[in-house]
Amino acid sequence: MTLKVMSGNYAQSYAACLARVQVISAYPITPQTSIVEKLADLVASGELPAQFVKVESEHSAMQVCVSASALGARTYTATSSQGLLLMHELLHWAAGMRAPVVMGVVNRSVAPPWSLGADHADTMSQRDTGWIQFYAESNQEVLDTVLQAYRLAEDPAIRLPAMVSEDAFYLSHTLEPVEVPDQSLVDSFLPARDARAVLVPGVAARLGSFTGPQQYVEFRREVAKAMERVPEALRQIEKDYQSLTGRFHGGPVEYYRAGDAEAVLVTMGTMTTTARTVVDEMRAEGHRVGLAKLRLFRPFPATEIRELARRTDRIGVVDRSFTFGAAGAAATEVAAALYSGPHHPVLSNFIVGIGGREVTPNHIHAMFDRLLAGKGPEVQWMDLPLPPEEVAHG
Amino acid sequence: MAKLTIPAPELMRAGHSACPGCAPALAMRLMLKGLGPRTVVSVPACCWTVIDTPYPTTALGVAMLDNPIESTGASISGLRAAADALGIQDLNILGFAGDGGTADIGLQALSGMLERRTDAIYAMYDNEAYMNTGVQRSGSTPLGAWTTTTPVEDGARGKAEPKKDIMGIVLAHRPVYAATVNPSFPEDFVRKVEKARVLRGPRFFHIFAPCPPGWRYASDRTIEIGKRATDCGIFPLYEVEEGRYHVTRKGGALRPVSEYFQAQGRFSHLGPEDVARVQAQVTADWERLLRLENGT
Amino acid sequence: MGATLEIRFHGRGGQGAVVASELLAQAAFLDGKMPQSFPFFGVERRGAPVTAYTRIDDHPIGIRTSITTPDIVVVLESSLLRTQPVTDGLREDGLLLVNTRNPAEELMIPVPVRRAVVDANQIAVAHGLGSPTMPIVNTAVLGALVGASGVVSLKALDQAIDEFVPARRAENRAAAEDGYHAVHVVEANTPFTPPVPQAVGPTLSLPEGPVATLSSELIHTSAWRTLRPVIHLEKCTRCNFCWKFCPDDAFTFDEKGYPVVRAEYCKGCGICAVECPPRVIEMVEEA
Repeated sequence: MTLKVMSGNYAQSYAACLARVQVISAYPITPQTSIVEKLADLVASGELPAQFVKVESEHSAMQVCVSASALGARTYTATSSQGLLLMHELLHWAAGMRAPVVMGVVNRSVAPPWSLGADHADTMSQRDTGWIQFYAESNQEVLDTVLQAYRLAEDPAIRLPAMVSEDAFYLSHTLEPVEVPDQSLVDSFLPARDARAVLVPGVAARLGSFTGPQQYVEFRREVAKAMERVPEALRQIEKDYQSLTGRFHGGPVEYYRAGDAEAVLVTMGTMTTTARTVVDEMRAEGHRVGLAKLRLFRPFPATEIRELARRTDRIGVVDRSFTFGAAGAAATEVAAALYSGPHHPVLSNFIVGIGGREVTPNHIHAMFDRLLAGKGPEVQWMDLPLPPEEVAHG
Repeated sequence: MAKLTIPAPELMRAGHSACPGCAPALAMRLMLKGLGPRTVVSVPACCWTVIDTPYPTTALGVAMLDNPIESTGASISGLRAAADALGIQDLNILGFAGDGGTADIGLQALSGMLERRTDAIYAMYDNEAYMNTGVQRSGSTPLGAWTTTTPVEDGARGKAEPKKDIMGIVLAHRPVYAATVNPSFPEDFVRKVEKARVLRGPRFFHIFAPCPPGWRYASDRTIEIGKRATDCGIFPLYEVEEGRYHVTRKGGALRPVSEYFQAQGRFSHLGPEDVARVQAQVTADWERLLRLENGT
Repeated sequence: MGATLEIRFHGRGGQGAVVASELLAQAAFLDGKMPQSFPFFGVERRGAPVTAYTRIDDHPIGIRTSITTPDIVVVLESSLLRTQPVTDGLREDGLLLVNTRNPAEELMIPVPVRRAVVDANQIAVAHGLGSPTMPIVNTAVLGALVGASGVVSLKALDQAIDEFVPARRAENRAAAEDGYHAVHVVEANTPFTPPVPQAVGPTLSLPEGPVATLSSELIHTSAWRTLRPVIHLEKCTRCNFCWKFCPDDAFTFDEKGYPVVRAEYCKGCGICAVECPPRVIEMVEEA
C-alpha cells in the first residue's frame, strides 16, 4: 500500500491499470483527458500491457469496448458531458450485450451554453441505459470504486457495464492523498475475467441477435434481474475489499450521523464532503441532522431509502442537475421509493451546484434550515435570487 | 462431376431469411468460403441483421457480433484489439455492412478504422439503397434510380445525384488492399478474398449486390444483372494492392449500359438522353481505371 | 351497436396483402364506417408469409390486437393453405376467400365454412399488374371479397383504389371489377382434415444468455416459394453452376455428383434455372 497525492483522474487511470485492463479506447474531452493521457503513458512505457485503441469519436470508443468485451477482454474507457451523450446509443448496446465494460465519467455540464463545470446532467441522462452507476466523493473512493466496479460488472450473475462518476474539477483536477493498493492485493481481489457467454473464435454463435416481441421481453427481464442482484453483490464485494484494504465506503448508501436525525440530506458526489462538515457544526449547535450519500444511483437503493424514512421525518434530496418538466432525478427516485413504503416523511428537493456553481457550507446550512423549518416548496433552486413572493413570505 | 471452382465447405447455412434471389446472401456465402471458419463477423443494422434469423438461431457457421448501423469500423477495431490482447492467433476479423451503413452513416467509423490501420477486412455489400427499411435512397444509390424517397413523378426522375465513390474514399486512406467483387463472378470473388485473408492491415471489399425487390426485377435475374453491370463497365472488377491497380476482368469492348438499365424496373423511366449521359461517364471512368492500371 | 367485422389477410411479401388490408379500410371509411387496419410486424421479406388485419365497425374500434377469431379470412395465394394455419380461429359462420385456379369445392380446409374462390393471378396478369411469376393480386382479390361478402360497396372500393393506389390506377380498378364478377361462392360443407402444418421454427424457451447458438437450418423456408426447380438429370452435365450461384445454400450433391435440391430450404428464386448452362432445370408451380 502506497500513499500518493494524485488527481481524481489519475485515480481512475491507476485503478484501470491495477485492474489489468486489456483493451482501452477513448476520445479526448475536457476534463476527462488526463485519465487517458495517463493511461497512454502507462501503455507506452510497458507498465500496462494493454491495447489502446485511439478512436475518432466517443461513439466508436464505446463500440471498441463492447466488441472487445464480446471476445472476452477486460475493457476501460472514460468520457464526460457531450462525449457521454454521443455514446448514449452504445450504452444500451453494452448493457443488452451483457458486456461488463467499466467507464470513468467526469460529470460535466451539457451545452448550450458551453460550460466545463461539475453537473450531473450527463450521467443522469444515461440512467435508463442498463448501466450500474456509481458517484464518488473522493479520489480514494474513485480508485476503490473502479476496482469494485470490475468485480461487480463481471460477476457471472450480473454481467452489466458500470460507470464510476466523479465531479469535474472538484475531483478530476483536485490533488489529494490516495492510498494505492499493491498489485498483488488487487490481483487477489479481482481475478481474471470470467468470460462465459462471449464469442469464441471458430464456434458458430451470434451475440446480439434480433427477436420477436416474446423473446425480447425475456431479454429485458434478464437485464432487470441482473440489476436487482447488484446491491447484495456490492455488499459482499465491499466486505472483501475491506478485509484486504481496511476501507469501506458504505455499500449502496453511506449514512453519516443519520441514525437519530430529524432532518437528513440525500447527497451525491463531492458536495457530501462539505455537507459532513456542516452536519458536524450543526450537531454541535444541537441540531439533529445527518446525511445519506447515494453511492449507487443505478440500481437505485430503494430499500436503504425506505429504511432511512423509518428513522427520520424530514428528507431533503440534493440534485446537481434538473430534469426539465419534472424535478431533480434523485428526488424523483426517492419519492418513488417511499411511496410503497409505510413511512412518508416531508420531502424537499434542492437544486444546487449546476454547471460548476459551488456548493458551499452556507448552501448546506440553508437547506437544513429550510428542511427543519417546515414544508417548503417541493423543488427549490438554491443560490438564485429569491422571487418577490418568496421574499415576502421568508 | 466437374471440379469445384470455389471451396466446398459452406459456412453460411440454409434456412436464412433473405428474399429469394438475394445477392447479399450469396455474397456472404462466398466471403466465408474465402475466409474459412476462424472468422468473427461484425454486422451492423442492415439486411443481414434479419437474414441471419431470429434468436436463438444463426445462419453463420462462424462467430457473429451485432453492432449498430454506424459503428462497424469501430467494432472490428475492438475485435482486433481484443484478439491481440488475449493472444488469439490466426483470426480473420470481418465487418460486413450495407452501403448506407458504410458510405453514409458509417463513414466516420470506417475512416477511423482505416486510418488507425486496423488489421481487419471491411466489406460493403452495395445494394444501392436502404433495402432493409424498404428501398430508400442512400449515398450509394446511382443517378436516376427510383427509390421510395427518390420517386418518379412529373417533376422528378429518380435520384438526382450521382453515386458516392466509396472506393475512391477508401483508397484515399491507402489500405493495404481494396477490391471490387461481384457474386456473378464467384471465382474472382473468392480468389480476392483468399488473397486479402493473408495480408495484414486494413483491407476493403466493395461488393456488388443486386436486390430483386429494390431494383425491381424478377428474382431469377440476379446473376445475369450482375454480369451485365460488370460487362458494361458500371461495376468493373479490379483490385488495388499497395496502390497498384489491377483490372481482373476485361471482356473486350464494354457492352452498352442500356443493357444493364433495361433489366431493372428502377431505371425504366430513363430516356435515351439520361442513358447517354451515364454512358459517357461510365466510359470515361473505365478509361481512367485502365490508365490507373497502366500507371499513366 | 353491431359487432365488429374482422378480416384477416394471408399473403406473401410482395403480393400486396398489407396494401389490401389498408385499401379495404379506406373503402369502409368511404362507406361511412370506422375502420382499422394494420400489418403483423414481423420480418417481411419478398415471398415470406405475411399477415394483415382489417376491422370494420359503425363505431370507433376499441381494441389494438391481432385478429384471432376472424369473420373472414382472405388468402392471396393458395399454396399458403398447405403451410400456414390460415383458418385458425375462423368463425363457423365465417367466409374463406382464396385466390386459386381450382374450384371452391376442392379446397382442402379443416373447417366447414362458406368458401369463395377467384383466379386473381389470371386477372392481375391480364391487366399487367406485376409479372406472371409474381402477379400483384390484391385489387383483384379485394373485388372478389366485395363480390362474395358485400363487406364494403364496390363503389367505395373503386374510389379507394383511385385515391390510394400509387400506380396503375385504371388497371387496378379494372382488376377489382373483374374480381367482383369472377368470384365463385359455395356454402359450407364437411371439413377436410389436413396434415399438421410443418413447424417453421424451433420451439423457444427463455433465453439463458444472449448468445444464439442454434443453426438456422432448423427453420424451413420451403413455404416461401411458389415455384420449385426440377432438374432433368439425364441432360445434367454436373457443372455445379446451380450450386455455385444459389443464395440459399439449397443444393447438395448425390454420390455421383449430380445436384440435389434441398427442398426444405429452396425459396424458388429461379437463379439455378436461368444460370444452368444446358438449361436442364425447370421451374414448375408448386402443386
